[in-house]
Amino acid sequence: MIFLKRQLPLIITFVMGVAFTLQYYIPHPISEEAITNVSKWMQIISGFALFLGLASLFHVHAVKIKRQVPGWGYSLVLYAGMLGTIAVGFWSHGETRVAGAQTSFGWLYDYTMVPLQGTMFSILAFFIASAAYRAFRARSREASVLLASAVIVMMGRVPLGQFLVPWTWDVTQCLLNVLNSAVRRAILIGVSMGAVALSLKIILGIERSYLGGGRDQ
Amino acid sequence: MPELTTATILGAWVAAGLTLFIYSFLYKDNPLFKLGEHLYVGISVGYSVVLVWHTVFLRLLWEPLRKSVSEAPALLESYILLIPAILGVLMLVRFIPRIAWLSRIAFAFVVGFGSGVAIPRTVSALILKQIEDTVNPLITMGANGLSMGLDLASPQSGVNTIILLIGVVSVLFYFFFSVEHTGPGMVTARMGVYFVMIAFGAAFGYTVMSRMSLLIGRFSDLIKFSGAEYGYATLILLAVTVLTLIGWEALVRQKGQGV
Amino acid sequence: MKEFARRMVGIDRRVIFLLIAGAVLLPLVKPFGLPIKVSPEVKAVYDYIEALPERSVFLLSFDFDPSSKPELEPQAVALLRHAFRKNLRVMGMTHWLTGTGLADGVFSKVAAEMEKERGKDYVFLGWSPGGGSLIIAMGQDLYKAFPSDYSKTPTPGMPVLDGVRNLRDVDYMVSLAAGSSGIEMWYVFGKDKYRFEMAGGSTGVIAPGLYPFLRSGQINGLIGGLQGAAEYETLITQKGTATAGMDAQSAAHFVIIILVLLCNVFYFMLRGEKGRPS
Repeated sequence: MIFLKRQLPLIITFVMGVAFTLQYYIPHPISEEAITNVSKWMQIISGFALFLGLASLFHVHAVKIKRQVPGWGYSLVLYAGMLGTIAVGFWSHGETRVAGAQTSFGWLYDYTMVPLQGTMFSILAFFIASAAYRAFRARSREASVLLASAVIVMMGRVPLGQFLVPWTWDVTQCLLNVLNSAVRRAILIGVSMGAVALSLKIILGIERSYLGGGRDQ
Repeated sequence: MPELTTATILGAWVAAGLTLFIYSFLYKDNPLFKLGEHLYVGISVGYSVVLVWHTVFLRLLWEPLRKSVSEAPALLESYILLIPAILGVLMLVRFIPRIAWLSRIAFAFVVGFGSGVAIPRTVSALILKQIEDTVNPLITMGANGLSMGLDLASPQSGVNTIILLIGVVSVLFYFFFSVEHTGPGMVTARMGVYFVMIAFGAAFGYTVMSRMSLLIGRFSDLIKFSGAEYGYATLILLAVTVLTLIGWEALVRQKGQGV
Repeated sequence: MKEFARRMVGIDRRVIFLLIAGAVLLPLVKPFGLPIKVSPEVKAVYDYIEALPERSVFLLSFDFDPSSKPELEPQAVALLRHAFRKNLRVMGMTHWLTGTGLADGVFSKVAAEMEKERGKDYVFLGWSPGGGSLIIAMGQDLYKAFPSDYSKTPTPGMPVLDGVRNLRDVDYMVSLAAGSSGIEMWYVFGKDKYRFEMAGGSTGVIAPGLYPFLRSGQINGLIGGLQGAAEYETLITQKGTATAGMDAQSAAHFVIIILVLLCNVFYFMLRGEKGRPS
C-alpha cells in the first residue's frame, strides 16, 4: 500500500519527466506521436483541475451560509450569481453569440462580467495615485534615481510629454531598450535557472509538495 | 447610429450600476461594493463552469470519444481518451479523504510532464538565447571596414551592447548572495542597484500608464451610457448611488450613537 | 508654510481620487488631440503584416480577460482591421477562460465591419485549457488541439484552415497578453520549436519585462499598452478608442507627476524639522 501511495507517484513523475525532457531532442515519429497525444490529454486533465479550484470556492461560501457568519447574505448573492449564470449558460448551450446575434449568456457576459471585472482592476488607478503621492519620496540616491526614471517614462510615453519635452521620448526608448532590458534579462536568467532547478528537483523526487502532504509523503 | 434594443439599454443600466457600485469603494467599504464584489465572483465562477463543461467535457472529450468509438468500436485506440478522463476523475477524488491518495497518481502524471517539457524549452528560450544576445560582437565588418557603433539611440550599437553587458552582470551579481559584496564586488553590486532602480522606475511609469488606461476604458463606457439614447443611465444611477451612500452613512452613525 | 506642507502631506486620499477622476474625465469629454509618435517596436509589427502575401495565415491569441480590455481590445481591433485589409486568413484563440466572450465579440464586430466570412476568412477557435500543453498540442496537430471552433463547427475541412496542419504552417503570430500565460509562454512552448515568426501586444504592466525578448529577436515587435494601440491605429490610419483615450492618458500622467513632485517638495520642506514627517 505504501508503494502505491508514495513510491508509485514518484516513479510516475520520474518517468514522465525524463521521457519528455528527452523527447525534445528526439525527432522520431514515435516520440512526436507521444507528445501529440499526451499534450492533448493534458488539455483534458487541466479542465478537471479547474473544477478543483471552483469546488473549493463552493465549499467556503457554503460553510459561511450554513454557519450564518456575519456577511453570509453576500455569500447567498455569490451563490445566486453563480447558479443563475450556470442556468443561463446551459440554456444558451455555452454560446455567447449565435449567427452574430447575442444570446442571454452573451448579454450576462457583456453587461455584468465585463464591467465588474474591468472596474475591479481600474480602481487601482486611484490607489496608485494616492500611494505615489504619499510614499514616492527621494529619501536616498537610489530612490531619486527611481523617481527620475519613473517621471521620464511617464512623460515620454504620452503625447503631451513628447510634445512639451521631446527628449523624453528618446531617453525613454534608450532606458527601455538598454538599461531596463539589462535588468529584466538578469532577472529572467536567474528566475529561469531557478525554475529549471525546481523542475529537476521534482523529477528526482527531492521536491514532493505537489503530492499534497500527509505522513506517507 | 443603429437603434438600440431594449436588451442593450437594460444592459447599459446594469453595467453602469455595477460599475458605480464598485467605485463606491473609493468613499469607503460599503454594502453596495460588497454586493458588486460577490456578484462578480459568483458570475465569474458560473461562466467558468459553463465554459469548462462545454469545452473540456463535450468538445475535447465526449464528442471525439463518441466519434472514434462509433467509427471503430473494436480498435483499442478508439478508447485512448479514457486515459485522461480517468486521470481527471482521479484528480477529483482528492475530496474523498479515504481515497484521496489516488489523486497523487494524476498529479504525478501532470507535474512530471510539465517539469519534463519545461526544462529543455526554458534552457533554450530563456537562458541560452538571452545569454547569446548579451554577448554580441562590439565591432562589426561593414562596407567601410571595421566599425563600432557609438549611437546611444540605437539599441544594437556597440556602446549600448557594453552597457547591457555591464548591466546584466552587475544585476546578476547583486542578486548573488552566496558571496559577500566587498571590494570590487561592492562596486559591482552598487552598480547593479542603480540599474535595478532605473528599471523599477520604468516599471512604475508603465504601471501607472496601464492602470490609468483601465480607468479611461471604464469612464469611456460611463460617458457613453450617460447619453439620452441610454436614458441617462450613468447620471441617474450616480445620483442613486450617492443617495444610498448618504443614507447608509446616516444609518451607521445612528447605530453607532445608539450603542 | 510648514503648516501648509504638513496639511498637504496628510490630505484625505479622496481629494486625490477626485483629482484623478477629473484628469481622466475632462479630456474624454473635451479632447485636445495631440499627434501620436510611432515607436520602432510597434512599426516592426505593422511592417511585417504589411509585407505578408494575401491569404497568409495569421494567428491572433487573445491572452487577456475583461480586466485588461481597455488596453488590449484596441490593439486587437487595430490588428484585425489591418489583417483583414490585407486579406490574410485569421485564426483566433485564447488561453484565458474569462476572455473568451470578449475575443469572440471583437472578432464578430471587426469581421462584420470588414465584411469577412467566418470559416472562409477567419475562424475563432475559442478557449482550451492547458497553457503550454495546448501550444505543444497545436504545434503537433491543430485539429487534435481544436477539433471544433468556438461555434462548434468541425475544424477539419474549413476553407480558412486549408493547408494548415499545425503551428509550423502559421506565417505570423501575435499574442495579446496580460500576464504570464502569454507572450513568454508562446515563445518557450511555440516559436522555439515550431519556428513561426511572432510579436507581442501587452499591457503596460508586463511590457518592460518583454524588452529582453524584443532585443534578442525572439519577438520581432512589441505593442505596449494603450499608447502602443494608439500608435498602431495611427499606422493603419484608422483612429479608434486608443487614440481617443490618449489625451486622458496624458492628463492623468501629468497629474501624477505633479502630485509626486509636490509630495517631494513638502517632504523636503518638513525634513529639517525634528522627527521625520509621517
